[in-house]
Amino acid sequence: MRKDELTEILDRSLSGKPDFRLPVDFAQKVTTSIVRRERWKTDLLDYFSLTAILVGLIAAASGIYYLLDKELLIRTLNFFESNWVPVAFLIFILNFVLFADKVLLRLLFSHWKTD
Amino acid sequence: MNDTELISQILDGNMNAFTFLVNRYQKLVVHISGRLIQRQDELEDVCQEVFIKVYQNLGKYRNECKLSTWIATIAYNSSVNYLRKFRKFEEVNPDDSFALRNLADFRMENYEITDLKRYIREQIELLPIQYRTVVTLFHLEEFSYQEVEQITGMAEGTVKSYLFRAKALLREKLKHIVDENSLKLVKEISNEKG
Repeated sequence: MRKDELTEILDRSLSGKPDFRLPVDFAQKVTTSIVRRERWKTDLLDYFSLTAILVGLIAAASGIYYLLDKELLIRTLNFFESNWVPVAFLIFILNFVLFADKVLLRLLFSHWKTD
Repeated sequence: MNDTELISQILDGNMNAFTFLVNRYQKLVVHISGRLIQRQDELEDVCQEVFIKVYQNLGKYRNECKLSTWIATIAYNSSVNYLRKFRKFEEVNPDDSFALRNLADFRMENYEITDLKRYIREQIELLPIQYRTVVTLFHLEEFSYQEVEQITGMAEGTVKSYLFRAKALLREKLKHIVDENSLKLVKEISNEKG
């Protein structure tokens, strides 16, 4: 009998809630964090897809020129050789604009939002 | 809204439904992770990681168990992995004599000022991690033996044994209060507080 009563008190206490707490806005914070992660993944994927398309176009154009007209290719290569600095700069700028639009700016905006 | 509708809405991209799901199950997760990790300052990060995993794997959930069981499994595994990372989790059979020494004594002279329930709750936090886990899942969250087995991967017999041993340790610490007079007082205090 006495043992049973102690067992009852024990059982009731064992089902008592511990004192651990989460912030009131925890659910909203988790959701915001997930949305940000998902957007980051999408943006990165977009950036790499567009870069792949760009590289693919250049490769395709080079292939067509190479197969159809060798003289043209040589002239094109000569042009690139004599103007490699502006050409490289142009490619870099185009790529940077794409990267800034799809990745950097969004990262910066989400960072400002968090602050 | 039931769990099936909720999952379907989340999978359709409704993030408000996910916020609703987090609100519904955050107590379950905080109880499990809290009892395992026991550090309030690290708890929020672990719980956040649990819900991120829930979101990422929700498409794989197949209704083979209750959603609460599935989320509890993720919370348990995430917490154990977190503890393993800092080498705070040992998969050995708990040493009951050591555990008993680790528990604080309940002072008879403090009956009138000490809440017995609170004393027991404090001692639960001092129990070996396996005992705390099964006590939380079985007594606090009211999962069945089979569900506790599913969540923790412990055999049903082990779950029962751990529950019995956890209670035995607490009972051992309280055995000196079990007599007619003191029990009457304990019951009075319990009723007043409860």
